[in-house]
Amino acid sequence: MIKKKYTVILYWLIMLALLVMFFTNDFGLVDLSKTSVVVAVGVDVEDEEVMVTAQVAVPQPSQSGDNVKYVQVQGRGLTVADCLNEINSKTGFYPKLLFCKLILIGEECKDEELFRVLGCFYRRNYSELTALVAMCKGKAMDMLAMPATISQENSTAMQRALSEELKKSANVSSVSLKDIAESNYSVSRACYMPFIEANIEGTSEGGGDGDNVGGESGSSGGQSQGGGSSGGESGGSSGGGGSGGSSGGEGGQGEQKKMEFTARQTAVFNDGKFVGLLDESSSFALNILKNEIRLAVVPCDAGDTHYTVGLKNADGGVKLKFEDATPKLTLSFNALAQIQGAKKVLDPDSVMFDDVVKPEVLKAAEDTIKQRFDELMELCVKTDSDILGVRTLLHKYNYKYYEAFKDKILSEMQVEYDVKIESLN
Amino acid sequence: MTNKISVRQICFILLAYTAVSKFILYPTVLSFQSGRDLLFSALIDFLVQGVIIWAVSYLCSRTEKTLFELIEDTLGNITARIIYGLFALFFIVCTIVPLFEQKVYVHAIFYDTIPSLGAFVPFFFFAVYAASKGFQNIGRSADICLPIFLLSMLFILGMSVLEVKWDNFLPILKTPLKDVAGASLGTMFRFFEPCWLLMFMGHFKYKKGDAAKITLSYVGGALFVILILAVFYGVYGDISASRQFAISKISLFFPAIETVGRIDLIALYALEIVMLFALVLNLQLAVHCISKCTGYDNSPLYSLIINAGLLLMLIFLDNKFNDIHTFWSSWMWIVFLIFANIIPLLSWALRRRRARD
Repeated sequence: MIKKKYTVILYWLIMLALLVMFFTNDFGLVDLSKTSVVVAVGVDVEDEEVMVTAQVAVPQPSQSGDNVKYVQVQGRGLTVADCLNEINSKTGFYPKLLFCKLILIGEECKDEELFRVLGCFYRRNYSELTALVAMCKGKAMDMLAMPATISQENSTAMQRALSEELKKSANVSSVSLKDIAESNYSVSRACYMPFIEANIEGTSEGGGDGDNVGGESGSSGGQSQGGGSSGGESGGSSGGGGSGGSSGGEGGQGEQKKMEFTARQTAVFNDGKFVGLLDESSSFALNILKNEIRLAVVPCDAGDTHYTVGLKNADGGVKLKFEDATPKLTLSFNALAQIQGAKKVLDPDSVMFDDVVKPEVLKAAEDTIKQRFDELMELCVKTDSDILGVRTLLHKYNYKYYEAFKDKILSEMQVEYDVKIESLN
Repeated sequence: MTNKISVRQICFILLAYTAVSKFILYPTVLSFQSGRDLLFSALIDFLVQGVIIWAVSYLCSRTEKTLFELIEDTLGNITARIIYGLFALFFIVCTIVPLFEQKVYVHAIFYDTIPSLGAFVPFFFFAVYAASKGFQNIGRSADICLPIFLLSMLFILGMSVLEVKWDNFLPILKTPLKDVAGASLGTMFRFFEPCWLLMFMGHFKYKKGDAAKITLSYVGGALFVILILAVFYGVYGDISASRQFAISKISLFFPAIETVGRIDLIALYALEIVMLFALVLNLQLAVHCISKCTGYDNSPLYSLIINAGLLLMLIFLDNKFNDIHTFWSSWMWIVFLIFANIIPLLSWALRRRRARD
């Protein structure tokens, strides 16, 4: 009986202690209206220092309309963590980067070791590895400050340029933090990421070829057109808290021209060092080999007519095998073709016959793809960048040759293309 | 013999609790030490433990006595009390690393900011209560936990298995053997399931074929762990050693998460319930051992003392988890070798029949 009585008292004491703790500390719970969530970060390098611009979503109490305000906050330091610490001290909140969906690296970072810039994001559990990573033309802070056409929050507009749908159409080489680390720390020691450019709204590059997407550049010369222009060059050595930016549809964007973002080019890194940019056609070749493609579009000329051919049920890949101890790399691509457009006057009676794609058009499409493979391989061999993962294939599937060929596989392998494009109907 | 727990409940415990206790840091540690051959390191440990589980469950078919009674009849009451006292300490030792792991896991996964230690303290409220309960409570908890476990696993594996790159395991068995075996040894302190069974001995009614059921349940638990290890390494490949809290990381790349948010957290919350019951089982057995050791049954008091000790340890060693983990993986395998391997096998040498039988 006495034992029971003490037990009850004991539990009440524990309950009381827990209640005290709950009301004093909230058990670490956070008031939503006092949070500021980092949704994207831009990283620039200046001399020895790193400058991080965070696009921060600040929840606003609102019954209707926009209930999130986006601001840019900057931090500067020797490491990205220093910068994030400064950003946290400005936002009054110490978040992890769990909601950061985009990491933008400024063009100057190409002179740096990539994982000096990105290393912080992999440490412990500071951020998830799902965030998309891209390099941008000019400074990342300028890019993040530009107002976008298709979304009020420009990091969302950039994410659309890196979307899964575009990836499945071979238009962009979207990669996440995980993909980059996997490639870079594999035996291939190479990785790639999309290269984002901003173009002035309503302009487009001439040339007619379907690969040319873009227009008048809006990022050169640091056209910091975003609201607040990221705090006016960071406000001194401590990186002033540049606020402003797009603000949920509020005024303040005045005469600034809105921008369109594209990411058709690809930045290539070898051993963590930037080695070059793949142009649109080489990026296309890379994408059809590395990604799952649902519908890609390839322009080609057959006879006197220019065709835009849609490729469905595509299946591309890279294979490495050894024949008489000689490495042989096969780049394969199979797809079913359908004419999407042709530079000729449309004759409604003949459109139905377009469904059966003529052999000369199929041949032209195959040749175009082989030519793009050529361009891609040229850059890979020239810069010794194994973005196709040839060394990884050597290590995984031809391990007995690994030691002998790991340093010279790219230069010594024979390359052949196995491209088959057939008519959809 | 008393029928306090059923064979079904023991099977559930060996299936679900075995698995959940190895989902947090175990995959990361194995990835670090064995790389792509981590499955072989795990298999070595599970194989050894599986054999011991079978041996103990088969022993249960040969006697209706509890372990305490077996020791008492063979070596005397004092020895039995001493051994049970040592087992109590052993079960507390079994709790320390998983407890710290739970704290770090809860802080990292369920909070967006950096919570204080106080956020984890309510666990002890639950632990004090649960650890003061006996075998019937353990059995009922297992009945509740199994469906939660199975549904959560279905959910998490369904969200992650399509992201697995199976060629991440190639080339097979190229990691030096000493690394693979070293990983097995270094993680041995996570394998103590035969001791659970030793404690249940004599508290359930053994029927023909139960040894097979119990062993197969353990194999089922092992398969879940192997599956999670495979998925984890298949998703993260060479960088998996840098990813902690495997179970919460494998489903992150499910396409729908981008749109609807972290729905996998629902399953992780549910799985957390099972993890807590698995963690508290060691405390329940520690309390049972102390009761037998002292001969005085005051479970709430023992539970309170043990949990107070663990809470103090958590407070004072809050930032020393790495040191604790290093010590456990470097040296504690000796203790686990004795308690979870040698003693269960030696229990076959104890006198199973009374003198008059």
